[in-house]
Amino acid sequence: MSIDFQSPQQTRRSFLGALAGSFPGLALTDLLAQDGAIGVLHRPAKAKRVVQLFMAGAASHVDTFDYKPSLKKYHGKAWDPGEGVELFQSTPGHTLKSPWEFRRHGKCGKHLSEAVSPLGEVVDDMAFVHNVVGKTAVHSQGTLLQTTGFTTPGYPSAGSWVSYGLGSMNDNLPTLVVLPDHRGLASNGTKNWSSMFLPAQHQGTVIQPGANPPIADLFPPRDSSFITKKSDKDGLSVLKKLNTQYAEQRPGDSRLTARIRSYELAAKMQLSATEAMDVSKEPGYIKNLYGLAAEGPGVNDTEINEKAESEFFGRKCLIARRLLERGVRFIQIWSGNDNGHPRRNWDSHENIERDHGPLALGMSRGAAGLIQDLKQRGMLDDTLILWTTEFGRMPCAQRGVGRDHNPFVFTNWLCGGGIKGGVTAGESDEWGYKPLDRSHPTEVYDVHATMLHLLGIDHEQLTVRHNSIDRRLTNVFGKVIKDIMA
Amino acid sequence: MKSAALIFKTQTPVFFLACLAGTICFSFSQAKDAAPPTFAAAQAILEKNCISCHNYGEKKGELVLDRGPIKLDDPDELIKLVSGSDPEMPKKGTHLKASQIAILKKWIDAGTPFPDGLVLTDSHAADRDWWSLHPLAKSKAPDIAAEDEAWCRNDIDRFIIAKLREKKLSPSPEADARTLGRRLYYDLTGLPPTPDQMQKFLQASATHPNSAFEKLVDELLDSQRYGEHWARHWLDVVRYGDTHGYDKDKLRLNAWPYRDYVIRSFNDDKPYARFVEEQIAGDVLWPGNPDGVIATGFIAAGPWDYIAHVEVGEGKVDGRIAKNMDRDDMVTATFNTFMSITIQCARCHDHKFDPVSMEDYYRTQAVFAAVDRANRVYGLDPAIQNQRESLSAKLSTLKSEQIALGKKISQLANPKLGKIETRLKELKAIGQRTVKAPEYGFHSQIAKSPDAEKWVQIDLGTAVSLKAIELIGCHDEYAGIGAGFGFPKRFRIEASNDPDFKTGVQKIADKSESDYPFPGVLPQSFPIAGKEKARYIRVTATRLAERKNDYIFALAELRTLDSTGENLALGKTVTSLGSIQAAPRWRRSNLVDDKFPHPENEAAMKELTSLENERRQILKTVIKPAVQKKRTEFAASIKKTEIQLKALPEGKLVYAAAAAFKPQGQFKATKGTPRPIYFLTRGDIRSVGPEMTPGAPPLWNDSPSEFKLAINHTEGDRRATLARYLTHKKNPLTWRSIVNRTWLYHFGRGIVDSPGDFGRMGAAPSHLDLLDWLTIEFRDKQSLKALHRQIVTSSTWRQASANDSAKAAIDSDNQFYWRSQRHKLTAEELRDAALAVSGLLNMKMGGPGFQDFVLEKNQHSPHYEYQKYDPENPASHRRSIYRFIPRSRTQPFLTTLDCADPSQSVAKRDETTTALQALTLLNNPFMGTMSKHFAKRIEKQTDPITTAFQLAMNRTPSANEKSTLQKYATQHGWANTCRLILNLNEFTYVD
Repeated sequence: MSIDFQSPQQTRRSFLGALAGSFPGLALTDLLAQDGAIGVLHRPAKAKRVVQLFMAGAASHVDTFDYKPSLKKYHGKAWDPGEGVELFQSTPGHTLKSPWEFRRHGKCGKHLSEAVSPLGEVVDDMAFVHNVVGKTAVHSQGTLLQTTGFTTPGYPSAGSWVSYGLGSMNDNLPTLVVLPDHRGLASNGTKNWSSMFLPAQHQGTVIQPGANPPIADLFPPRDSSFITKKSDKDGLSVLKKLNTQYAEQRPGDSRLTARIRSYELAAKMQLSATEAMDVSKEPGYIKNLYGLAAEGPGVNDTEINEKAESEFFGRKCLIARRLLERGVRFIQIWSGNDNGHPRRNWDSHENIERDHGPLALGMSRGAAGLIQDLKQRGMLDDTLILWTTEFGRMPCAQRGVGRDHNPFVFTNWLCGGGIKGGVTAGESDEWGYKPLDRSHPTEVYDVHATMLHLLGIDHEQLTVRHNSIDRRLTNVFGKVIKDIMA
Repeated sequence: MKSAALIFKTQTPVFFLACLAGTICFSFSQAKDAAPPTFAAAQAILEKNCISCHNYGEKKGELVLDRGPIKLDDPDELIKLVSGSDPEMPKKGTHLKASQIAILKKWIDAGTPFPDGLVLTDSHAADRDWWSLHPLAKSKAPDIAAEDEAWCRNDIDRFIIAKLREKKLSPSPEADARTLGRRLYYDLTGLPPTPDQMQKFLQASATHPNSAFEKLVDELLDSQRYGEHWARHWLDVVRYGDTHGYDKDKLRLNAWPYRDYVIRSFNDDKPYARFVEEQIAGDVLWPGNPDGVIATGFIAAGPWDYIAHVEVGEGKVDGRIAKNMDRDDMVTATFNTFMSITIQCARCHDHKFDPVSMEDYYRTQAVFAAVDRANRVYGLDPAIQNQRESLSAKLSTLKSEQIALGKKISQLANPKLGKIETRLKELKAIGQRTVKAPEYGFHSQIAKSPDAEKWVQIDLGTAVSLKAIELIGCHDEYAGIGAGFGFPKRFRIEASNDPDFKTGVQKIADKSESDYPFPGVLPQSFPIAGKEKARYIRVTATRLAERKNDYIFALAELRTLDSTGENLALGKTVTSLGSIQAAPRWRRSNLVDDKFPHPENEAAMKELTSLENERRQILKTVIKPAVQKKRTEFAASIKKTEIQLKALPEGKLVYAAAAAFKPQGQFKATKGTPRPIYFLTRGDIRSVGPEMTPGAPPLWNDSPSEFKLAINHTEGDRRATLARYLTHKKNPLTWRSIVNRTWLYHFGRGIVDSPGDFGRMGAAPSHLDLLDWLTIEFRDKQSLKALHRQIVTSSTWRQASANDSAKAAIDSDNQFYWRSQRHKLTAEELRDAALAVSGLLNMKMGGPGFQDFVLEKNQHSPHYEYQKYDPENPASHRRSIYRFIPRSRTQPFLTTLDCADPSQSVAKRDETTTALQALTLLNNPFMGTMSKHFAKRIEKQTDPITTAFQLAMNRTPSANEKSTLQKYATQHGWANTCRLILNLNEFTYVD
């Protein structure tokens, strides 16, 4: 959306401009640009768009993508990794096999658990990183680390950085869209898509498919006693007339004309957002591809079940595709809510099978649908999909059939825009407890650096000065993961 | 500044002090004299090229070059790294010259001698030659040309016009009276003037513009609205919120007294030094004064990770990280807020640009080492406070005496007992845990005495022959009991064919003569020797287990095993003499449901039970009746004191810095004993260096880096010393910082436009001379109101905001103040103005914040549902400063309008213009409600449009405006017309 209206008095600009001589950084010169900070990419981009799939509550790698035969072999036996283990909630229980079998899929022959088998269809397009390490076993901090690169609040989300760096590809939809779990926001709430010290237009806009309206304040309240379509339309033209007069009497203040334009864009957004949300005209086979339920968003969810989870996640994926087609730059899709009751997230301390089963199937149907659909539309080549979660889960049991947090190793996968398919870079150890090569783990910074790299951005150069530090998404770390790039 | 500093070497690991030249340390030359010549030659090279990374704090590549003794695994390697055409080192900056490499080589060949106790410092990091660190010096306004004197109302203007002339610029004419009035109201109170107020001002202004203006300034500064408005600025900076943030964003129901304190302080024009000192150590410096306690809400204002502190705790790495980051937030907030210096950069390495070392940083952490964020009592009657304190003290004495007695008994008993108890403590943490179903077992009714008889029995249906009976204890965390919950101390197991056990009773086990060993949840098996058949099995408790000052009998499972080992009791009928039926946990049928707790760690459970029994055995042999009596007396006195304490009023609560509070899970108070603070290499809590004593960065001459505190100082003394440090007359930053912030809020830009960062990475001041002049005035008067008065009465402030393209060509950003900056209403100003013009604004001051959301799922993980709130609810028609501020879901309407995020310190708000803002101003239900009420207010008036314009914009509409709106109103009604007026550019912009 080209509505980054910088006023002539923009102090940030002049402040940065004054320093431009001594600190040549892209962000300095390009705050002036209407769209994004960079304007000119650092390198040819492989991807233009990003979809970040976030499994709130910490999805178990050893029950989904990271096949560990030893868990089956030693199931029920004492688990001994040969070192002291400090767990988040519990003391280590016995070795726990996955409730699901693993089978080979695709040409690459990657093992996937039954719970995520729908992704088998597209596994040759996916690249797995099984040696991702976290910094904390606390949900809030682990979530922030993945969404912002820091464990404390106060830093812009990855999506905000991308929005800031590249700007918008359309002028009637937000640049960064968030599709949260409708049952509640994950840890930290809106902090996971805040722009913080980046300009406020780079914060995420929440879209709630099925809610009315799907974007807050998109339309007058339905129960408004006085606003009609006609009063709205006529009102906007009167407003434009009076606002224009006011601006004309005060020449030289571009904020005033920008504000007039913002009302025009708002009207455009009403149309385009409504159109983007409307999946009614999608053919049946497409709805099936994403795993949508016949009942729609009102599907029964009193007990956690596959059908509902597929509907919820699948619908978000389908809407994501429609938004991507319409030029949204970055979309964050959430599976799982906050840590409330009853459990509707991936934090399976109590029972892996009960909760991971439906969530994983729902997620993998939707994600597989999205990948296939983008591919058939020729959009997978320049859309990067990134799957992540706050940390992994332990190879040992908690209370018999659950698993505790494992910040020491977990899995990310990437797909599309510049990613080499069917590969695995970075392994976990025999148990899925720590990286196989402990001195060379993958960190969130590396994944973020790779994402920016594929978007044509050098992660070390996309910076903004805040409190004495030229801040960037990757803090002072980050190496591009070469092994997963096409 | 010299580039090297000395340390006191006290012990190993060294306890060092990066001291400043000319201070109390040994003199620099002394060390230099002692330095071997090869080192002396290498020192400058190291300082300039190496130690910014290879220092003790960062240890890049595990190489430390800033202090001795230096250990090189491979001496040649270092030379290799810096040699050649494309050397690997130094990473940044220029390559070393051959001559420099030769010097290094000489030093290495000599065995890297390094003077004892010397610590090299990165020269820039210790350098105080920077505008914001220069001492404040008295100055006077510049002399200006006579013709410019006419424009000047006070010295601010003299500084401004001098600079304007230097830049070939000239000031703008004064704004008209209406604009000035409107601007003044918004600037000082955050609210629009009412039509009456404006009318009054315009009338007075017509004849005596100057005095009318000055009178209005006084009036507004005296108004309570002033404090409400300026408190909002302050709360932006101190990251104030009403919930914890992070995961399970819990409510802080007692944060608001701090918000009210800030409002009160502004309204009272509290001397700024006192305002600063109170927020760091008011409880220590002004004991007995409620504000002293409330003010420390500043320290607690930021986000707090409930899970990491309460559920994880300091026993685990994640909990210790959280504690470290919690103190980091306190340190950061203190220095960013009061001194505009980014001390937090020195957590992982010496500050790269400003003179703050890692040692300084960790010393400052030590200041906050004993406090946490928690609810704290304030405002009690001093007599009651004293009583409470003396009772609390008595209680803790009694408890420690009780513990001492326990210890004495242990010592008397057996040296082994101490060991057993230590091990038991460890085991309780792991060995207690069980895997259990929601169906706990059978639970008798509660008895007042242990000797009440209780029984439970099973009807096996037919008479059968049994091999053994098994009893399994319960597990319930109630009263911290855990395993073995309710298992009787003494009991009998009997069998009979008579359901009343009057005849033919066979004894299976009689454990009624002495206490039965502690069983935990391990199955207790009682073999049956005979072959006689019986239909009923009964367990009679003859001495009950203690619960919490009462007694019960509970069992998880009763198993009757036949010769094949089959449990014949499964699912059979259970009767008892009394039972608690509280499904699913407690009911009779749970006794025979095959559901009972399994130890998570069986070995630990076994060890636990056997040690517990050993402990009981030892105690039994040593507790003489006299000792037993003493024990009982202690217990009674403790109970009595607790009752007395409970009877006293508790006072009010504020969420503030606290060293004493009620423990919650793993979150426990220090009770005033500071946690040890260690120097952490690279900020990593696993890389622990020497322990640090309290201090602060030495940022002016003779400011000590280490606080001089008595050996037996209290934790409060640490904070009090920091408070005095902040307000020290010579502190170059504190006074400049607040003057600049104040200037920023009046003009829309600061003299230093990075108001939270006065360091080398911050912005340069546009008018340093003016800033320093104002600062000295302010420091000596200590009055913010005087500063406001000085600013708004200047000609500079009173200029019109109209653009001038010729001047804009020279200074498009208006950084030299050749005109006024047209002010766009902030989110809160806009909301308050909409309430005011609609006639709904409720001026109630203070107290708990209004909640403009519906709170759901509060028990576990609160949801803040704004869209479900009805904006017609008058409870929310208060000024925005009184809003309850959740962190995890920020208020969407205000957030869209660039309101400050409560999870970060916001020194200056963003100002954006977006389509989402247009949508929210048009469609948010709040705006709809305001439009309706605004319409009700004007529609009965003879000239509704003029009234509406007077209310919203303090002016009369033009004929053109009037006819346009009249036409629209006729067609769509007044509510729609008012909705439109609230969306005008002119409503959003003050000028």
